[in-house]
Amino acid sequence: MHTKMKAAAVLGVVTLALAGCTSAAPATGGGSGVKQDEEAVLEVWTRTTPGSASEAATIRQVEAFTEATGYKAEVTAIFDDFETKLAQRAGQKDLPDIVLNDVSQLGTMQTQGILREIDLKDVENSKDLSPQALEAGQAVDGKTYGIPYSAQANALYIRSDWLQKLGLKAPTNWDEMLEVATAFTQNDPDGNGQADTYGLAVPGSTKRGYASWYFSNFLWSAGGDFISGSGDEWLPSMSSDEAVEATTWFRDLQCKAGVIQPGAVSMDTPPTNETFESGVTGMYVTGPYMMPRFDKVLGADKYEVVPMPEGPKDDSVLAEGGTVYLMAGSENEKGQTAFADWYISPEAQKFGMEGTEAFAIQLPVNEKVDIAEVRDDARWQTFATAYKESGHYAPTIPSWTPVRQMSADTINALLADCSLDVEEELTKLDGKLTAELLTQGILKQ
Amino acid sequence: MTIHAADAATAADAPKAAAGTIASPPPARRRRRHRTQGQWWIPWAFLMPALLLFLVFRYIPMVQAIQMSVENVRPYLGNEFVGAQNYQVILSDPAFRDATINTVILAVGQTVGCLLLGFLLALLLEGQTRKLSFIRSAAFLPVVVPMAVVAELWRIMYYPSADGFLNNIIGVVGLGPSEYINSPDSAMWSVMLMGIWRGGPYDMMIILAGLAGIDRGLYEAATVDGANRWQRIVHVTLPGLRPVFTILFILAAIRGFRVFTEVFLMTNGGPNGATEVVMTLLYKLGLEQGKLGVGSAGAVLLFLATLVLTLVVQLITRRKKDA
Repeated sequence: MHTKMKAAAVLGVVTLALAGCTSAAPATGGGSGVKQDEEAVLEVWTRTTPGSASEAATIRQVEAFTEATGYKAEVTAIFDDFETKLAQRAGQKDLPDIVLNDVSQLGTMQTQGILREIDLKDVENSKDLSPQALEAGQAVDGKTYGIPYSAQANALYIRSDWLQKLGLKAPTNWDEMLEVATAFTQNDPDGNGQADTYGLAVPGSTKRGYASWYFSNFLWSAGGDFISGSGDEWLPSMSSDEAVEATTWFRDLQCKAGVIQPGAVSMDTPPTNETFESGVTGMYVTGPYMMPRFDKVLGADKYEVVPMPEGPKDDSVLAEGGTVYLMAGSENEKGQTAFADWYISPEAQKFGMEGTEAFAIQLPVNEKVDIAEVRDDARWQTFATAYKESGHYAPTIPSWTPVRQMSADTINALLADCSLDVEEELTKLDGKLTAELLTQGILKQ
Repeated sequence: MTIHAADAATAADAPKAAAGTIASPPPARRRRRHRTQGQWWIPWAFLMPALLLFLVFRYIPMVQAIQMSVENVRPYLGNEFVGAQNYQVILSDPAFRDATINTVILAVGQTVGCLLLGFLLALLLEGQTRKLSFIRSAAFLPVVVPMAVVAELWRIMYYPSADGFLNNIIGVVGLGPSEYINSPDSAMWSVMLMGIWRGGPYDMMIILAGLAGIDRGLYEAATVDGANRWQRIVHVTLPGLRPVFTILFILAAIRGFRVFTEVFLMTNGGPNGATEVVMTLLYKLGLEQGKLGVGSAGAVLLFLATLVLTLVVQLITRRKKDA
């Protein structure tokens, strides 16, 4: 009896000690001195919800890659705390081979030293990349660290049945937009006799910097910017006249016209999407990835997609997209490069756009691909034009997230508290941005 | 009952055994005693799995956090030692100061609110009948519902237009509509209210257990002495519950300091930073902006504050006990 118990106890200790050792065992390598093996399976991480349609789309795409090139690859979908999990793997010096993530993460990842520099000569298809996409793959040092494979730009989703009922037309500039928004709010467009509709859906929460992300559409088309400069010389510019004008106009939607949905300042995208789907709001600025969902829940006949109404300066909209990042320390660098090259090839771009549920590729980055050939849905053409002619990426600096977060805090504050002075808050924001740019070592002296 | 019987049996056997072997006690028994007393490591061996888990998942990360708090953390390039710079950064950050004030307000408000609500509920629901136990379970429900669900429910109830659930209710008595979590003026107490609603029943359960431990005779004696209901509560119930309140106070204070989930889910610190607490700020700094060193420094400060608070409460209660 006693011997047995003792044995069990000892066994427990040993097992756990061993388990501890295995997980703590240092992984080999790091850097480019890793022994190469072309047979090694490429570990592909993608930032999307596990089990979702877009995970399925990515898997389909990566399987096609294996078929076309012979390199093996395996997809892991991660959504929550993606960057944290990546940092943990970095700490273990055992990164995935490929990461498919937002364009705006490039600076952060490059400064952490977890990306491998890409020689564009090795990526043959890169000569057909759109100039915008090519530029979005470069870090502050002018070198290429990522290959953007999919693009998206924002456009205005608007309830066509509401427009029809009120005898209005889709807005083409800010004045008209305010008019339509006011009519949607006050004239009972859904005809239920209650004042329960609003003009514009706004995800105004500070979570992941949503408020700033959404507002950038308005800021840029007014000719303003969060920070201005290039290379490693930047200055904050949120207190410029253009930025103040854009911010004042945007916050007046809430504070004067009252056309933004109630609760906007505590909403991130999921509840905001719901307000558009459920007929609480009549306009929403967002990307093409929402179409499958709105078609299903709201119905494609109830809304239309039009270009973003023109601002005081132009019709710039937020452009974003996915980038193929080749991670440092891979044991199959040839496979990595082949992956990036194949992903932007015309065949892959066309293949990734097929389907109806979700797409591996939103808009093509390869200029040889004509979107009309693949999709006969005219709404996609709207997004493609918006991207090509008015797409505006967030600037590539070592870390864009703090800038987005800080400006989101300010936009959120201005929407939530109508007694705040716009200029004063934006000047304060500029002060914070100055400190941040200094920390990142890119403040223009 | 069975224990007594067993004791009696051994007691009956003992003289017989003793009579037979007075000179030397049974060798088997001596060996056993020797073994359990002598092998000091056996209890440790049994504790080891749990200790190892604690070590890997709690203590090592804690030490790492302290280490990271004096470093510029760059996961792949290697960390640089920067001394007290991270502490300097976070302590001079007005956002950290505001978050600390908000945390204290929220912690105090929720602690007091939960204790009051819990005490009130406990007084109302004390007793033995079966109906009461059903009602008690019903009152306890908020505690077992996951925080994510609670936060989402309250967000819906707090819908800020006149047709929102709570605005409908307060509209009946001519109030509102309130903006609740969407206005910097009311966001803090809205989050606090939800916290009290959720935490109160938990305190109720523990207070109920404490109430059961108070001698009924004291109430009777007080009644005989002419004390009314209020006096009985003040002079009998409250002193009797002192140890329970101490525990609840410590638990609530710790819970209050590290409040995160409800704030993160409902307001994420907004609007205009009105509900920014230390934990949401640390999350933003460390995990969203990638400033892990600065975030760790903040976490260490939070840990120290909690430690000091717990020690102070311990000291105060110990002194009271001694007096």
